[in-house]
Amino acid sequence: MNLRLELTRFLNLWFALASAFMFWKGLSIVTDSHSPIVVVLSGSMEPAFQRGDILFLWNRNTYSKVGDIVVYEVDGKDIPIVHRVLREHVDERSGKQLLLTKGDNNAGNDIPLYAKRKVYLNKEKDIVGTVKGYIPQLGYVTIWISENRYAKMGLMALIGLSALLSNE
Amino acid sequence: MFSLSQRFQQTSNQALSFAIFAAAFVVATFWAQLYMENAFHLSSSVSNVKPSINVRTSRYYGSINGKPKENLKVSFDLNADLAPLFNWNTKQVFVYVTAAYNGKLKPGVKSEVTLWDSIITDKESSQISLSNMKSKYSIWDVEEKLSERELTLKLHWNIQPWIGSLVYGETEGQSTVLIPQSQSTQKTKVKATQ
Repeated sequence: MNLRLELTRFLNLWFALASAFMFWKGLSIVTDSHSPIVVVLSGSMEPAFQRGDILFLWNRNTYSKVGDIVVYEVDGKDIPIVHRVLREHVDERSGKQLLLTKGDNNAGNDIPLYAKRKVYLNKEKDIVGTVKGYIPQLGYVTIWISENRYAKMGLMALIGLSALLSNE
Repeated sequence: MFSLSQRFQQTSNQALSFAIFAAAFVVATFWAQLYMENAFHLSSSVSNVKPSINVRTSRYYGSINGKPKENLKVSFDLNADLAPLFNWNTKQVFVYVTAAYNGKLKPGVKSEVTLWDSIITDKESSQISLSNMKSKYSIWDVEEKLSERELTLKLHWNIQPWIGSLVYGETEGQSTVLIPQSQSTQKTKVKATQ
């Protein structure tokens, strides 16, 4: 048992975790969005997006356009929603923009999904980002891990084992 | 010094770099083809635009506490050929007709709303030819009234790819029309239902 080697290994592990965290936060700063990469959870935008697709977001635009696909958050609900902008109203004096959204696969607009008494979204406050890029299906891994207890345990075991068994 | 984990790392790295290269190739050819086929300067015609105003008091039509809210419906003709938008990375094209207008009480408020939209999934149905099409959505404004405004109608498109970036564009060709005043008969009808 070499203490120096063990400590180096421990340091390397933390180094890897820290760089992953830095990459994520750096991307957040560049895109001006607190979650710049999201995984689609529902089928309300089918056939454009299916469950498990990965979306890349950008939030440095001042205003959204009609037809943009945006990710928004509703007060009191922790799951963000990916839908398309159906209407936009910009007040050029105050710079405030109101948006109404709708899922391509839904019959009606999103007013029933918004927080109580709200009939519009506020671009500045509610929008997490606009969808710019798309990778199909790869995000299914994260859904599988977060929804399946055994998958989560298996992954933990795999990481632990590889940390124990690897040398250099 | 070869171990199973090293071997695994090597293979997965190779697979990842190949996947990135393949995706980049697909995206590059996709954009090149769009520019070559002049996809960003497609022509369309929106004509025979007939707007009409209805006064609604339901909250599903934008009314708050039963206050009358003017709703807009539009019928129109639309012709466009969107075949250049379809190539090997096009999963579907979302087409939508929007109307842009300015506020009346607050002229600084600029609005754009979707009147009609549709999803096209294959090249065979990329020729759009509609006549007397009714708008899919009933439109209300942030203001209570929507009549006597100038609408500018335009056809936009959005390509959802199999992989890569979403592409947006608008067609050349637009139509401008004035919304007529709502008829007084509709107003009395509203009073009767209240």
